[in-house]
Amino acid sequence: MLVTTQRLTAKTIRKHLSRSAARQYASSSNVEHSDVVIVGGGPAGLALAGALGSSKVVQESMRVTLIEAGDLSKTKAWQLPPDAFSNRVSSITNASQQFLRNIGAWSYVDETRTGPVEEMQVWDGVSGARITFSAAEMSLGGQTVSELSRLTENLNLQRALLRKLEESSSVEVVDKVKVESITTDDREGSPWPLLHLSDGRVIRARLLVGADGFNSPVRTYAGIQSYGWAYDTHGIVATLFHAPRSPFMTPNTVAYQRFLPTGPIAFLPISETASTMVWSTKPHLANALKAVQPSVLVDMVNAAFRLPEVSMRYLHDRLIEAHNGGTPITSEQLREEILFREHSHSIDTHSALSSLSAAAEAGIPPEGSESYPPLVKSIQPGTVASFPLRFSHADSYVGEGKGSRTVLIGDAAHTVHPLAGQGLNLGLADAEALAKCIHDSASRGGDIGSYTSLMPYSRARYFENHKMMSAVDKLHKLYSTTAMPIVWARSVGLEVANELDTLKAALMVSAGSHRLDRTPGSIGVGLAASTLENVAKSISDAQVVGQVASGVVQSGLQQLFRTLSSRR
Amino acid sequence: MMRPSSSRPLRHALAQPSALRPLPRTSRSLHSTCYRLNGHRASLEGSSTVNADEIAHFSRLSSLWWDETGEFGMLHKMNPVRMQFIKEKLLEIRREETDDDVEEGTVLRGLDVLDVGCGGGLLSESLARMGATTLGIDASESNIAIASLHASADPSLDITSAALSASSSHLYPGVKGKGRLVYENTSVENLLARRGPASFDVVCFMEVLEHVDNPRAFLDSCAQLVKPGGHLFLSTIARNPLSYFLTIFTAEKLLRFVEPGTHTYSKYVNPSEIISYFQTYRSPLSTAVRSAGTPWIGRVANGVPARVEAETRGIIYVPWNGEWRLSPRGEGWSEWCNYLFWVRRPKE
Repeated sequence: MLVTTQRLTAKTIRKHLSRSAARQYASSSNVEHSDVVIVGGGPAGLALAGALGSSKVVQESMRVTLIEAGDLSKTKAWQLPPDAFSNRVSSITNASQQFLRNIGAWSYVDETRTGPVEEMQVWDGVSGARITFSAAEMSLGGQTVSELSRLTENLNLQRALLRKLEESSSVEVVDKVKVESITTDDREGSPWPLLHLSDGRVIRARLLVGADGFNSPVRTYAGIQSYGWAYDTHGIVATLFHAPRSPFMTPNTVAYQRFLPTGPIAFLPISETASTMVWSTKPHLANALKAVQPSVLVDMVNAAFRLPEVSMRYLHDRLIEAHNGGTPITSEQLREEILFREHSHSIDTHSALSSLSAAAEAGIPPEGSESYPPLVKSIQPGTVASFPLRFSHADSYVGEGKGSRTVLIGDAAHTVHPLAGQGLNLGLADAEALAKCIHDSASRGGDIGSYTSLMPYSRARYFENHKMMSAVDKLHKLYSTTAMPIVWARSVGLEVANELDTLKAALMVSAGSHRLDRTPGSIGVGLAASTLENVAKSISDAQVVGQVASGVVQSGLQQLFRTLSSRR
Repeated sequence: MMRPSSSRPLRHALAQPSALRPLPRTSRSLHSTCYRLNGHRASLEGSSTVNADEIAHFSRLSSLWWDETGEFGMLHKMNPVRMQFIKEKLLEIRREETDDDVEEGTVLRGLDVLDVGCGGGLLSESLARMGATTLGIDASESNIAIASLHASADPSLDITSAALSASSSHLYPGVKGKGRLVYENTSVENLLARRGPASFDVVCFMEVLEHVDNPRAFLDSCAQLVKPGGHLFLSTIARNPLSYFLTIFTAEKLLRFVEPGTHTYSKYVNPSEIISYFQTYRSPLSTAVRSAGTPWIGRVANGVPARVEAETRGIIYVPWNGEWRLSPRGEGWSEWCNYLFWVRRPKE
């Protein structure tokens, strides 16, 4: 690297200094200083503010400002009756929960509105191969855990963080105010961001944090490019109501996810009689599903967890056909179709596989009921919504040059397919790591906006996030196919996986159910993610091998798993 | 890329042009120039350990001091480790002497601290942010200019450099934790002559010793400035084949990571040499104390001084973390290249 030495003589610097001093006087009337300005009052931004507010060093030496365009007083006063739920629900992993406890925010979460996940069942929609994770099997790090994660409404969490922030005097929360523009104040050759707010305030930020979502204006200001693509997939969310589980079964604490070629559908328990759905599917299907009557959607959801894949494809076609024809399919028509398909698959109407089971909640449930979520009875009005799914990852989390003193967290830094429920957890992990980084730098007298101070954050998160994101992305792609060799290979993958403690433990970590500690030897997300990558890779290899004798592939897979288990 | 553990050499310039000239006990010149906007030219001809070539070298690089990804990147990364060491030692001694619970964050608050060879002000700014009343001195006028300019942009620093002092203090509402910071274009000898001995609670000279021509004289001047019971911190590079390989062969010649000519092998100083210097070093007679002081290091076992008197700690660059690491106490091999040294002046 050749350094061009820009010779600044003392004289020119002096001139510059006196000029800037004059400018300081001129602008001093309305420019405020803040050490950390967080743009965006979503979970990641609020969690960062909360974490900073709970650090003594930060309290003593810094001023933190959070700016949100929306009305946070509504979030703070958010209230729903106990039997109604918001449709944005996240699976808060044990690691994230621990972080929220540490900063004193979890105690403000209304736990009665959260649902523990004690078991996860994931299966291949084409072959039926299934893996089960349960908290009871978990004993990583010598500690048993009682749950894999806890399903929490995002608003419940945001409200808790806001209440926590009320206590903190070092954090100023500014809502209903937009950031109109961000300019650069580079009078001393070291650029500082200047935020011009819609209420006329101008804030000079030592560190500007972009927690402002996918279309992050802070990222744009920082000149950081983002790499990614939109999946040809939309996610539909809704709050589902169902009867409580029979007393002969485990309570509603099992999360279910079925991988269909159109995308995974997940059932996430939030109370004994309510659960949330996240159904990732093709955009045209999503539109059709949103347009139908609620009772039709109810039957479609029940069928999506039960009906063989070929019949689901048929139902999709029927749905699209009717939708395009302008006469959406009626409940009766759909039930007739489902009954017919079940009959042709010889599914008994009293079995667990029947979507229209007459076998009511009373009595002993049919065999295999625990392999499927409870039958949905109705959908909470107004909760059906959809959003496009995308993969994106910023090229860097820390701004340089003109965009110095900026850092990205949460969706501003990355967006991920929701199939592993990791989006919010990655954002919380970012907030935790950045707060620690700021704390460490401040307690050594560092300039927390400097590149050197922010590097530990980038190092702690960038690659971790990338591994998790690409593993999730690969899983999505892997399960989007119906090509037989791949279906076969992935089924073997899943079933072999069920037998292998190591892999399973790693997978559970990837589902974020265990707090990561950095001690060597503990299975971290890294191993989990690389395991998933390897499985995915071996399966795409299987695609190439295709017609080659199955034994070769099988021994390859066995070898892979042996390697993985011996790596422990 | 393997970044070798060479510090980005801060050439604060402190040595005389003709090497080996004995250091006069009292400084001959009083040409210390406080950096001002209306500007006096600094004149350091009379001072004794300042090396003109070194000043020229660093003056040329001065505008790059704050380019964290450039020439001085390694030094920026080293700064947190230096601060950690300074904090740790001050805290350890404070806890040793008081029963009160001393808070980690307050350990530098209110102390008079001198940063010799402050360069662009990397360490000085950190010290000031921790609440120390900090004086940064450097023999290069342009370094002082750069340091003042940079600090003036930061509202958490109360930089009392002449005209700026009035403006920066009330500029921004909501600024917390201001530390007082003054930069001065002078040499340590001039400062000693002007301020007199025993003026500072803490004297630091980081990555400076290997750039002076007469280290004994330089150490002597720095030590005189320390108050009884005060602290002296330094960092430098040990002299052995490994340090030659890392800091000169690899960093300068092979990777051109550091400009060739930055380091001079013969000027490197070993920890044992510094320790033995302070085993015989006694603070000179002062008016207050009639008797000559005790040596700064009284007890040494297996070459290791008593923990409450002095300490050396290696610092190692860990390329895969991109960070410097402060080695644990007692890891002697880690002192083979870059190391930190602390010694305390006896209370008398």
